[in-house]
Amino acid sequence: MTRRAPLEGIRVADFTWVWAGPFCTLQLAHLGAEVIRVETATRLCVTRLLPPYPDMQAGTNRSGYFNQYNQGKKSITLDLKRPEAVEVARRLCAASDVVAENFAAGVMDRAGLGYETLRQLRPNLIMIALSGYGATGPDSDKVSYGPAQVPLSGMSSVTGYRGFPPMHVGISYGDPTGGLHGAVAVLAALLHRARTGKGQYIDLSQWETSIAVLPDALIEHTMNGTVPPRDGNRDRHYAPHGIFRAAGHDRWIAVAVEDDAAWGRLAALLGRPELGTDPRYATLTARKQHEDELEALLTSWTSEHSPEEATATLQAAGIAAFTVATNRDVAEDPHLRERGFFVELPHPEVGSRQHIGIPWRMSASDCRVRHPAPCLGADTDAVLREVCGYTPAEIDALRAAQALA
Amino acid sequence: MPGALDGVRVLEVGDLVSAAYATKLLADLGADVVKIESHRGDLARGRGPFPGNIPHHETSGLFLYLNANKRGVTLDLTQPRGQAALAGLAAGADLLVHNVHPTLMAAHGLDYDRLSAANPRLVMTSIAPFGLSGPHATYRGPEVVTWSAGGVAALNGQTGEPDLPPLKAFGDQSGFQAALNAAVGSLGALFARLASGRGEHVEVSAQESVAAILELTFEFWPYTGLVASRLGRKPIQPLCFVECRDGWIFICAVEEHQWQKFVDLMGNPEWAGLEVFENRLARGANFDALEPFLQEWCRDRSVQELYEEGQRRRIPFAPVSTMGDLIASPHLRARGFFATLAHPVAGPVTMPGAPYHLSATPWQLRTPAPTLGQHTTEVLTEAGIEPAAGAA
Repeated sequence: MTRRAPLEGIRVADFTWVWAGPFCTLQLAHLGAEVIRVETATRLCVTRLLPPYPDMQAGTNRSGYFNQYNQGKKSITLDLKRPEAVEVARRLCAASDVVAENFAAGVMDRAGLGYETLRQLRPNLIMIALSGYGATGPDSDKVSYGPAQVPLSGMSSVTGYRGFPPMHVGISYGDPTGGLHGAVAVLAALLHRARTGKGQYIDLSQWETSIAVLPDALIEHTMNGTVPPRDGNRDRHYAPHGIFRAAGHDRWIAVAVEDDAAWGRLAALLGRPELGTDPRYATLTARKQHEDELEALLTSWTSEHSPEEATATLQAAGIAAFTVATNRDVAEDPHLRERGFFVELPHPEVGSRQHIGIPWRMSASDCRVRHPAPCLGADTDAVLREVCGYTPAEIDALRAAQALA
Repeated sequence: MPGALDGVRVLEVGDLVSAAYATKLLADLGADVVKIESHRGDLARGRGPFPGNIPHHETSGLFLYLNANKRGVTLDLTQPRGQAALAGLAAGADLLVHNVHPTLMAAHGLDYDRLSAANPRLVMTSIAPFGLSGPHATYRGPEVVTWSAGGVAALNGQTGEPDLPPLKAFGDQSGFQAALNAAVGSLGALFARLASGRGEHVEVSAQESVAAILELTFEFWPYTGLVASRLGRKPIQPLCFVECRDGWIFICAVEEHQWQKFVDLMGNPEWAGLEVFENRLARGANFDALEPFLQEWCRDRSVQELYEEGQRRRIPFAPVSTMGDLIASPHLRARGFFATLAHPVAGPVTMPGAPYHLSATPWQLRTPAPTLGQHTTEVLTEAGIEPAAGAA
């Protein structure tokens, strides 16, 4: 039986840039949608301008950041400051099922590409705007930046070492969280359209999708007026629980003792089986009271073993643990490799390099990374011809008018 | 108003966050979600926060948030009677989402081949810490473990503090990421079914869900052979937390035009013209010299004043919001973000609301989370199953 892609025949006009929007449309590309990124050489996508570049040689098509999050998409270039280009964009939208954008609120409207305009051209259009603050409300014209979303969302106020200032989380977490929520909303809207024939407009605020994943902290405040203290890697419901030093230079292992039975097994493994039933440690409440001692005891063992060795030993005993993986550890993880998680497709400028694949598998559908990230404007002519219906002569004229820059 | 997923019948067998948030996303868009719990209940019932800090299995804030809009059924899936009831419910369902550990799936009647033989249109989505296959498939993986295994934990730490361990983010973020991927995969499979008429098995790995969000750091290895470290100095600045008189602000002014406006906002101090601060790379390399100036300047100002002054100049400053700041935000309030739902035991609970606004099929909260086993008789009777199948 031939495998069919879930979103075969669905076209996405993708005006997004940086990370949140492209991460949303990446999911649609994984599912087989034809995602056409509308870019411009006059203002390159931020991720094309960021490292890593092979051999540290920068280049428009050489960024690993861009190439990771735009796999399976096409790229056309339009300079939307030119009216001819806006007309091309309108034709593209009219031929698309979904339009996605993550500019600041109002930018698409001012470019003549707002939802009210586009729905005249394509009545069943689904359009999603992913912005930092959302399309309405008193802060909707504020500027948003990926790294600033983490503190804004409230995440930083509850993340940190005990007694230290608020912390970041290591990535611009609001971007992928917003992007995935956006993909969920678009897919639901596509299902609704399949049933009713009706499209709609989706307003997504990254601030709100970021708060959606902090319910326990927020509700503690609304229920009791308190907030969870910044407490490093500890957890109120497990002990020991955290990240502990392993043997080797700056190597660490995450360990979580999930219940009293797991504590008994860990105590035996540490060579102290009697501690498994010792009233100071036998219950979660008791272990929370003696957590400093327990952490010291556990560290005295973990620091004698490589994290990989300790992981194998702990997991064999049914204790949750894993190496705190660096980017290299992830790339070399034998489990992920065996599962076929990584994608290495030949790219015209960077060759075949390892990229992250899809976190889910489908038993019947054709769900995969179909091709590497596009070079800037690689599909301009083909899309203008085949999707927008321009003749080669018209395309030449548009190019002469610098609309395709 | 209709929901985008009206008429979609979903079953969930889940503890804690991943399966429950995946089906919450669907329930809030109209799907009819039946949550199956064991008689001890979802572990999230024990997590809190609890009103007055008094633990009670019906009042956990995390549970009430994750399971609103669902109906609740109790079944003992380790017994043949419970498994038969699950199979009966699955025969009439569009989607089954679960996060039962791979080593326990078969023992809980979660056998895709058997369930799909009875209902070929069924989509089953299995969420596991390390996926269903591969050498680590049997590994245990709560949040701190999969967050670490996916590579995000290693990226977060305090520059200059090598003895502080890598730091995880607050909450069960691996669970939320796996949930979002599970919702995407499940909806993709439901869309595929429109053409194929058949369901399928979707498998989601929490570790991979985390590895998928490493931003630009993963590619440093395959592209340049560099290992990312939490201890590295940020290459560009300012992009930092600074304490004000009444809280913390995140100063974000890395682009040259933002920096110039920030310097202007500070009243063009003489130090800003020093060569060591001449561009963002220099400001990164000399951040030790820069930081005290910023601290000095922010110390007596209020967070809100700086935030507004910065934003007025198009500098993307952000407050380090506390939970109280979020609740009080006029913007979030104007958008109607927070939702209050009355629960028969917990009373009214205010929680995060719509994560997106769909113009034709709005996100909606309809009913509070089910009490343990609240809908067992109703749901089993509807499906033509003897209600006694739900007895403990």
